[in-house]
Amino acid sequence: MEENKVTLKADSITKSFGDFTAVDSLSFEASAGRIFGFLGPNGAGKTTTIRMIVGITVPDDGRIDLFGRKISPALQDRIGYLPEERGLYKKMKVSDQLRYFAALKGVAAKEADKRIDEWLDRMNLSEWKEKKTTDLSKGMQQKVQFIATMLHDPDLLILDEPFSGLDPINVEFMKEVISETKSKDKTIIFSTHMMDTAEKLCDDILLINKSKKVVSGSLREIKESYGKNVVSLRCTGGEEVLADETLAAKVIDHADEREVFLAKGADPQKLLEKLLSAGAQITKFQLIEPSLNDIFIEKIRG
Amino acid sequence: MMQKFLAVLKREYKKVVFTWTFVITTFLMPLIASAFIFVPILIFSIEGESTRIAIADLNGNVGARLKDNLSPEKIAEKARQAAKESLSDLSATQDEKMKRSAEQLGGTFTFVPYDPAGKSPEQIQTELRARIAKGELEAFLIIPRDIGARDGEYLYFSRKAGDFVINSTLQDALNEAVRSQRLAEANISEDLLKDLSRKVNFTIKPLTETGEIKEDDSGPWAAFVVAMLIYVVLAIYGQAIMSAIVEEKETRISEVLFSSARPFELMMGKLVGVGLAGLTQLAIWILTVSVFVGFGIASAAASGLEFTLPTITLTMVAYFFLFFLLGYFIFATIYALIGSMVTNMQEGGQFALPPILLLLVGLYFCFAVIRDPNSSFAFWVSVAPFFAPIVMPVRILADTPPFWQIALAVLLNGAAIVGLTWAASRVYRVGMLMYGKRATIPEVWKWIRQS
Repeated sequence: MEENKVTLKADSITKSFGDFTAVDSLSFEASAGRIFGFLGPNGAGKTTTIRMIVGITVPDDGRIDLFGRKISPALQDRIGYLPEERGLYKKMKVSDQLRYFAALKGVAAKEADKRIDEWLDRMNLSEWKEKKTTDLSKGMQQKVQFIATMLHDPDLLILDEPFSGLDPINVEFMKEVISETKSKDKTIIFSTHMMDTAEKLCDDILLINKSKKVVSGSLREIKESYGKNVVSLRCTGGEEVLADETLAAKVIDHADEREVFLAKGADPQKLLEKLLSAGAQITKFQLIEPSLNDIFIEKIRG
Repeated sequence: MMQKFLAVLKREYKKVVFTWTFVITTFLMPLIASAFIFVPILIFSIEGESTRIAIADLNGNVGARLKDNLSPEKIAEKARQAAKESLSDLSATQDEKMKRSAEQLGGTFTFVPYDPAGKSPEQIQTELRARIAKGELEAFLIIPRDIGARDGEYLYFSRKAGDFVINSTLQDALNEAVRSQRLAEANISEDLLKDLSRKVNFTIKPLTETGEIKEDDSGPWAAFVVAMLIYVVLAIYGQAIMSAIVEEKETRISEVLFSSARPFELMMGKLVGVGLAGLTQLAIWILTVSVFVGFGIASAAASGLEFTLPTITLTMVAYFFLFFLLGYFIFATIYALIGSMVTNMQEGGQFALPPILLLLVGLYFCFAVIRDPNSSFAFWVSVAPFFAPIVMPVRILADTPPFWQIALAVLLNGAAIVGLTWAASRVYRVGMLMYGKRATIPEVWKWIRQS
């Protein structure tokens, strides 16, 4: 991790709309060859932050450096941005549409045509090349838009909820493409609400809430800092032990097992002992790390 | 950065021009316009079916005169006269126009011999109505014995009573015949009468500002055609801009666009692209209209009508395109501004009304300017922003004003474009990323001042 090459660096950026501060002195770094998970509840300021990175708006205060230079329209050609709110021209053919977006990113026409064919082939959309957007299914439209994001081979890829509306097969397929992009030493910013996806995909995390940073750092370090304070438990009986708030702060029931959050300072050995002495039949007792989802909920609820 | 502007321009141009709608409107409009020239000419050439008429002349002298007045030569002569008058007089009232077009049409009669000698009007009626029932004739006219009497009744019975052309032709001819007979009875000769009642020779000599006599006086109608053309194209392409912008906002494409190019490039690319599409259409229209008009005039001349073509110089054409472009950029930026304020086309439609009204008012000003191109009113409206693009070309065609006035119009409207573009690009930049709710006027004002 020491060899991380920082490509994107935000230094206490602030953006306000009237009296409302959408982003409040936010600082973070993203590195090449890593996926940066940008997490936060709705209205936390994610979209505003992304818009500042891609150069749609300018921060009121602070600065953003990309590839060692202050962000500017000239750098836009090196960014690929897939916004959460997706859209294509309704009455334009897929090929024309992709050519246009490529031209806007400064890709020469010939090169664009070559890449369009490659990508359509890869996404299994070749036969839809001359069709209009309105003839395409939602999933296909999404793939077309993803191609538009990738055509200029961006060095910084920003994906805002890239999997919403895709079927599981296409989600897997997209994950492959993202992994491949990562292996090419590109920087990827991945914004989502889906914590389990983020947990599987991201190397680094930035969690924001109410315009401010809540947690940031490498996913591994964050999880380690929480320690193993959750017990994955499968047992019958011992209800009165689990109700003891000095031992278990919270118990979440899943289908066939429970997640027991240890109370502050509680010893897992003690819990096991008490359960046994209460006559509980234990088939699973495993000390685990909290999930990203748990961290998210804990941090946001405060 | 220029290449992105060009990419936007290319897309917008192709999007408008490479569609069936464009092809159809481009080639249909001149057809519709030329119909206004061709249809009357075509109608002149349709010979109505001859009406078989019996004239029961109880007076004995009027019938022959009436037949003479209704001869094909005389009717054709009158039709030509009427056509000429209707062309030279633009301000004729609707009533007059109706009557004239009826005269232009004329109507032909076949006379069925009938001798009313010794029969009472009632007898005549019964007899002739029976013949009509048998299909021997379609109409008959009873001329009373005493044509001098004030209450004399000229009864016309007809199966074609609804044919206003026939009716008015007959009525005119009858009036003339009776008048001639009355004059003859008062011992005034036909020749003397003709000599005394001939029309004065009224000739209009248009003067230029320097007092020279202008050779042609057909500027007004050409000016009106020009005003209509500019109005139509500005209204169509202004709306085209608005819907293009609303589409990008509605589909959220603007988010991707703004992450790829500067909003100003995007907006200008759109304005110029659609503007060039408008120019293309206008050029095709002007070309086809001039071909059709040329052809129309040739065929009109062949059928005896005389036109003079307005003298249109290359300078005038250049001015025309210049003012079209000024108008286009004024109204296109207004529509762009509206498009970035609203959230969908329905809302846009409501806001589109004020600029349309502005255009319409400009069009109405043209009438005043055509009537008096040198009034101070004409001066003000032909240099004022928003109106000049429609009014000034009309004024130039009707009676070219001094150069400084044209320059002033260009300057004022150029300044208006700069100001509007400045405001519109600010509203565009902010408004395009505001989804869900329509911006209020105070909000828009804030965006313009702030950014």
